[in-house]
Amino acid sequence: MKLNRNAVLKAGLLLVVAVIILKLFCIQIVEHEEWVEKAAAQHTLQNVLLAKRGEIYMMDGDEPVAVVMNATVYTVIVDPMLASEEELPEKLTEVLGEQRIAEWEDVFADKSRRYYVIAKNVERKVAEKVAEADLAGVWLQSDTKRVYPEGTLASTVLGFVNADGVGQYGVEGAMNEELTGVNGLLRTVKDVNNVALSIGGDNIKVPAEDGENIVLTIDRNLQYKVEKILEQQAEELGFKNISALVMDPRTGKVLAMANLPGYDPADFGNVMSAEDYINHVVEDPYEPASVCKTFTFAAGLEYGVMTPEKTFFNENVTYVDGWPIKNSTQKAELVGQISMQTALNWSMNTGSTQVLRWLGGSESEILQQGRERLYDYYYNHFGLGVPTGIELIESPGVVYGPNAEIYGIDSTYANMTFGQNMQVTMIQVASAFSAVVNGGEYFAPTIVAGKVVNGEFVENEQAEAVRRAVSQETSATMREMLYNTRTSFRNNGVDAEGYYVGGKTGTAQMIKDGAYSFDETVATYVGFGGTAGELPEYVIMVRVWEDGKIAGGEAQALPVFNVLKACVQDYLKIKPAGV
Amino acid sequence: MRKHKSDRVIGILTIILLGIGVVTIYAIGPMRANVMNSAYGTSYRENYFFLQQLRNVVLALVALVVAFKVPYAWVKKIGKWVLGLGLLLCVTLMILAMIRSSAATCELGACRWLNFGGLSLQPAEVLKLGLVLYLADLIARRKAEGKLESLTDFWLPFAVISGVSLVFVVVVQKDLGTGVSLMAIILAMLFMSGVKMWQFGVTLLVIFLAGGVAILSSPHRMERLLTFNSAESSDSYHIENALIAIGTGGFWGVGFGNSVQATGYLPESINDSVFAVMGETMGFVGLVAVVMCFTVLLLRVLKVANYLQDTQESLIVVGIFAWATAHVVVNIASMTGLIPLTGITLPLLSYGGTSMLFMAAAIGLVLQLSCYTSRESRVEEEVSSNTSKACKQSPKRRLQV
Repeated sequence: MKLNRNAVLKAGLLLVVAVIILKLFCIQIVEHEEWVEKAAAQHTLQNVLLAKRGEIYMMDGDEPVAVVMNATVYTVIVDPMLASEEELPEKLTEVLGEQRIAEWEDVFADKSRRYYVIAKNVERKVAEKVAEADLAGVWLQSDTKRVYPEGTLASTVLGFVNADGVGQYGVEGAMNEELTGVNGLLRTVKDVNNVALSIGGDNIKVPAEDGENIVLTIDRNLQYKVEKILEQQAEELGFKNISALVMDPRTGKVLAMANLPGYDPADFGNVMSAEDYINHVVEDPYEPASVCKTFTFAAGLEYGVMTPEKTFFNENVTYVDGWPIKNSTQKAELVGQISMQTALNWSMNTGSTQVLRWLGGSESEILQQGRERLYDYYYNHFGLGVPTGIELIESPGVVYGPNAEIYGIDSTYANMTFGQNMQVTMIQVASAFSAVVNGGEYFAPTIVAGKVVNGEFVENEQAEAVRRAVSQETSATMREMLYNTRTSFRNNGVDAEGYYVGGKTGTAQMIKDGAYSFDETVATYVGFGGTAGELPEYVIMVRVWEDGKIAGGEAQALPVFNVLKACVQDYLKIKPAGV
Repeated sequence: MRKHKSDRVIGILTIILLGIGVVTIYAIGPMRANVMNSAYGTSYRENYFFLQQLRNVVLALVALVVAFKVPYAWVKKIGKWVLGLGLLLCVTLMILAMIRSSAATCELGACRWLNFGGLSLQPAEVLKLGLVLYLADLIARRKAEGKLESLTDFWLPFAVISGVSLVFVVVVQKDLGTGVSLMAIILAMLFMSGVKMWQFGVTLLVIFLAGGVAILSSPHRMERLLTFNSAESSDSYHIENALIAIGTGGFWGVGFGNSVQATGYLPESINDSVFAVMGETMGFVGLVAVVMCFTVLLLRVLKVANYLQDTQESLIVVGIFAWATAHVVVNIASMTGLIPLTGITLPLLSYGGTSMLFMAAAIGLVLQLSCYTSRESRVEEEVSSNTSKACKQSPKRRLQV
């Protein structure tokens, strides 16, 4: 049989073509989805568009000034495979100076490790020099970090941003979400060099929403002065911890808030303990002690069960549930019929306990009604033990309910009349105190004045009072009682003519290992001030303490208040009456 | 043989394929320019590759017309001169490469192009045409003399010429793709020469053994064969991306201008990989159409060979058929992962001057010869017993018509 060789070639060609078309069918129809997935995996460029973290401002008079800012810093990275071992150390050692964190021998020890960080947080000027040197195998990676032009100013109020970019403590922690903003997303088809292409229908671009620039109500200059005073006073008094708060009782705005010792937010890792990060004004409930007589007496006035002139029989000690409640001042001449003003002047625990009895409608016993009325004022009217809503991390503390099933509820309430057996924060006390002296309206304390949007200061609207805490009359009476208390024998002539300043001391035993300690006390003073004949223009609260030391409201907190008061009066340009 | 009209189908399909190539290059040329510019810092304009391809197509059409018009009787005589020129150019290239002259263009140690003042030429293309013309001449002459079985008169010169050509291309120029097409030309022409099947079989065996030795003696080639399509292969990236391109095309393709693979993922996107890009843009439908165009074209060429009564003419067409088929099949099989990646152009479609020019000229020659086919198919005989008969009949039949 003759072989038609031309036909053999033809058949061969057709066979090959058939195989090719079958293969194309497999790739393009059968495996289509698979290849589309593989293509997407290498074609898709997905970038997070990083939102810029908002900056934090303080007020300087009427103008906001940035106190926490962002700066671009650079990480210098070396690829030892590409870099020249002879040339690189010689050229970079000088440029980087002390910022170099890696030894050259280590960098070049293992060349297969193609990524070696040799300097971090390098400023732009230095980074530019590195870039100018144009060295092979060296590249810069930009990053942003927080910078603090005011150094340690208000560190416990501001907080810091950790290595993961998350705000911790202070405003950074409490307002992290607002400051962070929302990252955007870019998803697009890219070419082999990672350049976005316009090919393809499902490209996404969601721009980043930058974080808000927050303006604090805190006045930068006043804050600075307050911190200086605290440092000075801490040294003079020999106490490690002092916290202070200056606020405007007419608005609830915080003008200064400081805690000693504090820390450097730019070097936040360098602290003795995490205790240093704590803002004691808002997140450390304690017993403010006799300062709370202000609130007990205000409740007494509200229910009409007492007046400043009303008297009770003081024996310097009174018994509740068989337990003695003593006065800290045990003077024989104070035994007898004593007016409530005098009781406040001498900070008599027997006096405040008597108000509790009267609130219940009794002369000699603490009744449920008394407890309920006191609780209503403490908790509902004054917000003690309740988060105030200030834009900071708060720890609300504890105020027992009037019918709490605890051992000795009556003695607990008797103690509460002079600020013990309860845990509240300075911000709660100062806000309540503001309500007592400002005419009776409770304003939620605030630390945020507004925002900076596109370089413009957008001020928050002044919030309305949250509620009426006490009547105008009660407020007026309390101002007078607090004025009298301060001026009766304690002011030593520090309050100049034409000013009206009042306040109350407090000294509380610290709870150590679950029991009240006899050798450690915390001192408090809260006071108001302003031009005589007008409503108070500031409230200042001071707290002084140190582990293992006895601090007295009169001995330690009062002097600090006096210095702060002079400073605030000066700074706010408060004029004496009649001038 | 009375001259009649040429095979229009061949002409039309050639023009269609050239057109598809131009449109494809028009769509991906800007991407190619961008890839080259960012990788090598060159400054190609967006339409550079399109305009170059347009120029190449015009030149190719000119070459086609010239080959169509040049008297074929003359073409039949110049086989040894064209082959000689091809070999001379190969030697020149080798020497220029040795002295590292800029006139020899090398890529990754393989020197395949000659440069004369901006004009570049691939000697291997001249060699292919020369081999086709020379072998047709040799076989036809020896067949006419009845010496097709003579060792000294036919087999020795056949083996030497084929061997030398292959050595230049595969060993010196390290161009396996062209080697494969040379091999296809040699084998197809031998097959159709009418040598006995056992002789052809022995030749195949010898080539197979020689190929085996060549592979075993080179670790590079060995590795390439063993790791065919596996992840370690240096070509796996190329094949993977060719398959991604073809695969994402699906049934209808992503459309012209929407190829993502051509933006730098797929190497050689406008040259050797243009088939994959076409798969992405035109889909299964487009590729089947392209494959069918080639198939019909090649079958028509084969038909021309079958109906040419003159042995030399028929063998020239067979050689051209083998040449074009090798390029089409090896290129497409490489791109679809059927065989190990072999760098070879897709005729008429790939970007590149020399290959297109010579392929067009070859097709022009086929077109010319298609004017001289008879109505009957060639009488095919093994040479063995009827040598004298074939000798007598051949000139006689020519006179008859």
